[in-house]
Amino acid sequence: MKRKISSIALNVILILLGVVTVYPFIWMVCSSFKQNSEIMALEQHLLPQTFIIDNYINMNNRFNFLRFFANSLFVTLAITLLVVYTSTICGFVLSKYKFKGRNLLFGFVLATMMIPWCVTIIPKYTMIQEFGWMDSYKALIIPAMFSGFGIFNMKQHIATLPDEILEAARIDGADEFYIFHRIVLPMAKNGISSIAIFQFLWAWEDYLWPYLVINTQEKQLLAVGLKMFNGQYSTDYGALFAATAISIIPVLIIYLVFQKQFIAGIAASAVKG
Amino acid sequence: MFKKSHPLQSKSEIILRNIVVIAMVIFFTVFLIIPIGIAFAGSFHEWNPLSGTYNFLGLKNYIDVFSSGLFWTSMLNTLIFSVVVIIFRVGLGLGIAYAIYSSLVKYKSFFRAVYYMPVVTPMVAVAFVWKFMYNPQIGTINQIFGLDINWLMNPKTALLAVMIMTIWKDFGYAVVMYMAGLYSLPTDALEAAKVDGANAWQTFRYITLPLLKPMTLFVVITSIISYIQAYVQILIMTEGGPGTTTYLASYIIYDEAFVKYNFGYASALSFVLFVITAVFTWLSFRVSGSQE
Repeated sequence: MKRKISSIALNVILILLGVVTVYPFIWMVCSSFKQNSEIMALEQHLLPQTFIIDNYINMNNRFNFLRFFANSLFVTLAITLLVVYTSTICGFVLSKYKFKGRNLLFGFVLATMMIPWCVTIIPKYTMIQEFGWMDSYKALIIPAMFSGFGIFNMKQHIATLPDEILEAARIDGADEFYIFHRIVLPMAKNGISSIAIFQFLWAWEDYLWPYLVINTQEKQLLAVGLKMFNGQYSTDYGALFAATAISIIPVLIIYLVFQKQFIAGIAASAVKG
Repeated sequence: MFKKSHPLQSKSEIILRNIVVIAMVIFFTVFLIIPIGIAFAGSFHEWNPLSGTYNFLGLKNYIDVFSSGLFWTSMLNTLIFSVVVIIFRVGLGLGIAYAIYSSLVKYKSFFRAVYYMPVVTPMVAVAFVWKFMYNPQIGTINQIFGLDINWLMNPKTALLAVMIMTIWKDFGYAVVMYMAGLYSLPTDALEAAKVDGANAWQTFRYITLPLLKPMTLFVVITSIISYIQAYVQILIMTEGGPGTTTYLASYIIYDEAFVKYNFGYASALSFVLFVITAVFTWLSFRVSGSQE
């Protein structure tokens, strides 16, 4: 009996905390379907009293959000794919090959994760200007190609793959390129999905770097677009809610689809690390 | 035996290894080591790209940093912000993870997935959502609690408001980390405690908590590193105001570098923060090491 009461109490507390956690998202989505007069009304209801989709249409008429969305999707996918590939291959070399300087190199990769963004961003900005990469997606993609976090996690993950499988393939005459692409890459699926989602999120939410290196409005990414939109239409709340919802929902969908692999992946890297 | 597990390297292994190592070294040299060098040199110069100045100043930028009132205000704000947010992050994370882990709760992965949602959402966007929630005209927070507070415009509540938002966004990460830690605990230690007649609290206090210390350390260190670098929520929600009450250390760097274009001063400030980050990380390791 006592056990039952504490079980109910604990579940109720967890559900309440869950409501607090999701409430801002629900409020945002509901508000994005309300008229401005209803958003500003003295008496508030969570659900829209008159359900409208005009906010989404208006938002896109004033500011090409679908364009920003497509730009962000392109850049984010490009960075994510590249980082997944480079992290996996670097992780493979650092965990399965023995060579001089390996530990030094790995220690260096670890150290890169401790450097705050603010130390390198000014010089990177001046370098991009000198390379003539301003206003081009090269400036967004190339400096993000390798990730210390990704390499570290993939090294930890691939180290757990059994050497015997690689040896068996070698005996069958497979070369290392074949082994990496056909054996290691598919087997590292769980590690890959966790760094892929992290990397997707980081690239998707990055604000300062695209703000600095992209000047043409049509090329701009969603996070910067959202801030510009807020600056210009700070009183059209309905459209602001719609724009914010557009930039959050894709990430939430990806997360909800992949959350199992994702949580398993990050948790595993922390326990081992 | 030794030879069998480390066979002679094949040609393709050498080629693959060389390509990967060289690519890594080139990348990190160009986009990390050289920039650090440029920033370090720049921190001793009056460096403004708009006016094209690059004049040697010696230590003046560093002296200016330490004699600036705003710097100390922002350090105090960052300290308050980090301590409060980390305490809540660790406390909520550990408490919730332990609750989910206990046999009293059924839908474990459901709760875990829900609490982790804010962690994966873009900061710029959720900072806007919270800015609207705090808005006295349209916001839902005053409405729900029947308050009349202009959260982000009041010097007494602005930093608190940003901290609440950050706790909401980040506690789920600690939940997931502590759950991973709890599930990897050695079951024999917990069994032994049970056999010895320890009650639930004693088991938690004297067995589970000490065994989770590496995880706590991990969460605290990663939190310190990320809060010293936090600026997006400030940029979106308060821009440092009202007055200077929500200036965080990294927000000054953003402001000096990309609003005022004082690259030299901003670089000096960056190195100060870099050293502080390194010292805190080292301290956390030492504190945990000396207790074991």
